[in-house]
Amino acid sequence: MSDHEKVRELLALSAADALTRAEEEQVMNHIRTCADCSAEVDRWRLLAAGMRRLPTPQPRPVIVERARARAAIRLAEEAEHRWHRIVMLGVILFAWAMTLISWPVVKLVSGGILGMLDPGLNHAWIAFAIFTTIVWISGGAAAVFLSLQQRRERSLA
Amino acid sequence: MDMIASAAIAWEGRVGLESEVAQLQRGDLDALSALLARYQNRLYRYLLRLVREPAEAEDLFQQTWVRVAEKIRQYDSKRNFEAWLFTVARNIAIDHLRRIRPESLDEPIPGMPGESPVTRLPSGERPVLDGIMDRERSGRLAQALELLPVSQREVLTLRFEEEMKLEEIADVIDAPLSTVKTRLRRGLDRLRNTLETNYPGEVWQ
Repeated sequence: MSDHEKVRELLALSAADALTRAEEEQVMNHIRTCADCSAEVDRWRLLAAGMRRLPTPQPRPVIVERARARAAIRLAEEAEHRWHRIVMLGVILFAWAMTLISWPVVKLVSGGILGMLDPGLNHAWIAFAIFTTIVWISGGAAAVFLSLQQRRERSLA
Repeated sequence: MDMIASAAIAWEGRVGLESEVAQLQRGDLDALSALLARYQNRLYRYLLRLVREPAEAEDLFQQTWVRVAEKIRQYDSKRNFEAWLFTVARNIAIDHLRRIRPESLDEPIPGMPGESPVTRLPSGERPVLDGIMDRERSGRLAQALELLPVSQREVLTLRFEEEMKLEEIADVIDAPLSTVKTRLRRGLDRLRNTLETNYPGEVWQ
């Protein structure tokens, strides 16, 4: 490929300011002596200028307002989700802390101070385990119910 | 002196933008309004160039801002916000095209389209006759642009209308720089070829 042909390939990109400095210099040096390429690059520049001057279509104000409203609702939902996650984590930590703390209390109540030192299982442990399981299942069911209720209210809104 | 003034304005604009983005990450609705005002025309134009239908572009425009509200906390402030925003819009538009008109992602539509909504807008305050001629030329140019494949059309609009650097375009379309250059050159080639075939002798400034 001759120098002329190589430069010819670069002319469109030159008009788009998309060449490296070395390539741009190559183009400039060539078009100083080549009238054909000089005219050609001018045609590309006219096209590029036309592209830059295309009118900007604008969205209708009602669409912009709708986009703002929908995005604002989404922002609020995202903040709400984040808050829910924090609350849920806090509640879980609290529940586990209460569970762990209540175990020695149950042993103390059911077996006295000596009972606390007894690592073995007894009837109180079974009752405690059943009670804890019921509480956790009820809590989970309530959380699911509230979440579904909230989702339904949001879809109605 | 002019260079210093324009650099100062650009710096102010960048600082303002960074502050608006940071505020939006904290859920500030005023920042959402400010960013919408800042980007509404450019974003809508980009989406319209991609999908060509105003009704679809309007819908995608809204979806884009909803997605921005959803993802803004994941935005890394080290990244260029404009590139991030246009990437969000592009992903939504490409998903839409893939679902509605998968063929449009590969091939241009044959023939010249009729009057396009892209052409309905006024140009600047030049003499009336010049204005009419400019509008006609711009309309033809916009129509020819619509005939390009999406991949070339989007690179052309990002380069010439959004005035993005090649690196920013590569970031938006998630492609290497060499691909951006290839699409840019092929797009310009095809655009010029279409115009010269349909309107011989016309000057496209």
